[in-house]
Amino acid sequence: MKRLISANNLLLLGVVVVGAALLGSATGGTFFGPVSMTAFFTYLSVPILIGLAQMITLCVGQLNLAVGAIGGVAACAAGVMITSWGVPPWVGGLSTVLIGAFLGLANGLIVVGTRINGFIVTLAMTQILIGVQYGLVGTRTYGSSAWSAVTSFGDAKILGIPNVFVLTLLVAGVVALYFAQSVSGRRLLASGGNAHAAELAGISIDRTLIVAHTLSGLLCGVAAFVTLAILPGVNSSIGGDWLMPSFAAPIIGGVGLAGGTVAVLGTVLAATVVRLVDAASAIFKFDTSAVNFVVGAVVLGTVALGRLREVQAARRASALRSKRAEAALAEVSR
Amino acid sequence: MTDSRLGRWGRAELRSPRPLLVILIVVLVGIFASLKPMFLNGPFSISPLITTISIFTVVGLSQMMVLSVGHMNLAVGQLAGISALVMGACFQNLGMPLLLGLAVGLVVGTALGALAGWIIAQTGVNSFIVTLAMNFTLLGLIPTLYSSWSTGQAFTVQPPGFTTLGTGTFADFCLGDTCGSNAVPLLVIPALVCMGLVGYFYSSTRVGRETLMTGSNIQAAELSGVPTRRRLILVHAVSGLLAAVAGFMLAASTGSFTPAIGSEFMLPSFLGPILGGTLLAGGVVSVIGTFLGITLTSVIRNGLLLFQVGIEALNVLLGVILLAALATDRLRLLLAKRRPPKAEESAATLAAELEDAEGNR
Repeated sequence: MKRLISANNLLLLGVVVVGAALLGSATGGTFFGPVSMTAFFTYLSVPILIGLAQMITLCVGQLNLAVGAIGGVAACAAGVMITSWGVPPWVGGLSTVLIGAFLGLANGLIVVGTRINGFIVTLAMTQILIGVQYGLVGTRTYGSSAWSAVTSFGDAKILGIPNVFVLTLLVAGVVALYFAQSVSGRRLLASGGNAHAAELAGISIDRTLIVAHTLSGLLCGVAAFVTLAILPGVNSSIGGDWLMPSFAAPIIGGVGLAGGTVAVLGTVLAATVVRLVDAASAIFKFDTSAVNFVVGAVVLGTVALGRLREVQAARRASALRSKRAEAALAEVSR
Repeated sequence: MTDSRLGRWGRAELRSPRPLLVILIVVLVGIFASLKPMFLNGPFSISPLITTISIFTVVGLSQMMVLSVGHMNLAVGQLAGISALVMGACFQNLGMPLLLGLAVGLVVGTALGALAGWIIAQTGVNSFIVTLAMNFTLLGLIPTLYSSWSTGQAFTVQPPGFTTLGTGTFADFCLGDTCGSNAVPLLVIPALVCMGLVGYFYSSTRVGRETLMTGSNIQAAELSGVPTRRRLILVHAVSGLLAAVAGFMLAASTGSFTPAIGSEFMLPSFLGPILGGTLLAGGVVSVIGTFLGITLTSVIRNGLLLFQVGIEALNVLLGVILLAALATDRLRLLLAKRRPPKAEESAATLAAELEDAEGNR
C-alpha cells in the first residue's frame, strides 16, 4: 500500500488531474463528453499494455525492442488467419496472445541459449519480424469486417467504460498481483535486483529471463488483440510506433532501468499522461511530430532527474555517515 | 622485433572473425557473378554497391566509436538526419557554398552527439536510454523543421560540386590518357578518410588508447588518471560527427535532403561492427572488421536484389545473419575456453611479448 502512494505516483496523478482539467476548460467541457472520453480510454489501452510489456523485461534488467514487431506480427497473423483461412473470429483474435507469448519465448530462449546481449537479440528479432509481418500482409489492409464479433466487443462498453479499457485494467491488476504475491514474480524481481545473490539463493536466472521475455511477448499479444478489436483493419504499419511509448510509460512511471523494480500503477498513470499529451495535440492541432519531441524530452528529463536525485541521496547518506564517524571518533578521543 | 610483432598481429587477425568474412564475401561475389553476370557490371552494379558500402561503413564507424567504450548510439540515424537538414537549409535558404554548409552541418551533428555524451557522463544514465530519447526527440523535430524551412518536405538546391561528389566516379578524372574506373564512385574518398582517421586514432594516439582502456575497464582507467568523462563525451561527439558525414554522403548520392535520411541506419550500424569483431562490452574495435561486415551485408543485399528477392525477405535474412554471427562468435569463445592452452605455445607467446616490451622501452 505504501508503494502505491509514492511521491512519483502522486505527482503523476496530479499531472493527470490538472491536464484533464486544462483540456476540459480549453474545450468548454466537450473533452469530458461521452464521445471524447470513450475515444480517450479506448486508445489508452495499447500504451498501457505495451508499457507493462516493456516493464517486465526492464524488471529483470533486459530490454525488449521487439515490442512493436511482436504486436504487429500477432495482429497481422490473426487478421490473415480469420480472413483467408476461415478461422473463427474469436479463435483468431485470441490466438494473438499465444503468438505473442511464443515469440517472446523465442526471444528468451535465444538470449539464454546464446548469452548475447538482450538488446541485440531483440533488435535482430525486430528486423526479422518486420519482414515476417510484411510477408504476411504485404501492402494490403485486412478490414475488420471479417472479425466483426471481436470488433463489437471492442466497441461495447461496461458502465460507460470501453470494454478494452476494462480488460486492460484487469491485465494491469493481474500483473500487479503477479509481482506482489506470486513466487515467480518475486523471483523475477530478485534476479533483476541482484542476479548473483538470486542465483546463490537458488533462483535460476536462465528461467527468470525466459519467463520475463515470454510474459512480455504475451502482453504484446494482448495489445495486438486490443488493436484488432478497436482498429478498422490491420496492415504492415501496426506496431511501428510502439517502441517509444513502451519505454516512456515505465520510465516516467518510476521503473528503474537497472532492474529489480516494477511500478504497475506508475506505468498506467504515465501512459495516461502521454495519452493526455496526445489528446491535447489533437485538440489544439499540434503536429504529431511535436508530440514525439515533447515525449522524448520528458523521458530524457525524467531519467536525468531521477539519476541526479539518486546521486544526491547517496551523497547525503555518505555525508551523514562521515559526520557520525567523526562524532564517534571525537567520543573515543574524549 | 617488428617481425614477431607483425606475426602476432597476423595470428590475432586469423583468430578474429575477419578472415571468415573475407572468405564469405569472395564466395558470395563468386556465386552472384556466375549466376548473374550483371552483378559485375561496373557503372550499374558495382558503383552503386561501392557507394552503399562507403556510406554504411561511415555509419558503422559512428556506432563503433561509442561501442568502443561499451555504449550504444541509437540516435545515429537521426543525428545524420538533423545534420542533413541543417546542411540542406544552409544551401537552400542561406545560399551557402558547399564546404561552409557542410561544416555547419557537421558542427551540429558533433554538438548533438557531444550533448548526448555529456548527459550520459554527467548523470550516469544508461547510454541506451539517453540516445533513445534523443532519437525520438529528433524524430519529432526533423519533420517539423522540414515543413517549416522547406517547401515540399525536401531541399533540392545543389551547390556547385555537390552532384559531382555524390554521383561522380573516377572516370571523371584523367591523367593524360588514362582515366579512372567508372565503377569506383568518388564517395569512396570520404569513407577511406574516415576509416584512416578512426584507425589512426585507436591504434596510434594516446587519447585513442585511453578511450579503449575506458571501454574495457572504466574504473581501472579512472584510477590510472584517464579523464574518463571527457573520453565518453569525445566518443559521442565523434560518433555524431561521423553520423553527420554519413548523412551528407547519403544526401549527395541521392541528390536531395529529405526527412528519410538516416531512417535506415540503425541496424546496419550495429551489424557492421559486430560482424567485424567489435565487442558490445567495449574495449575492442576493428575498423577493417567494420568495413568487412558492412561489405558482406551490402553484397548480400544488392546481390539478392538482383534475384528479385523482396525487401521483407532481406529484412528477415539480415536479422538472422546478425543472430547467427553472434551465436557462432559465442560458440568459438566457448570452444577456445574448453581447449587447454598448449604449454610450449603459451611460453613462446610470453617470451615474444617480453622481448617486445624490452624493445619498446
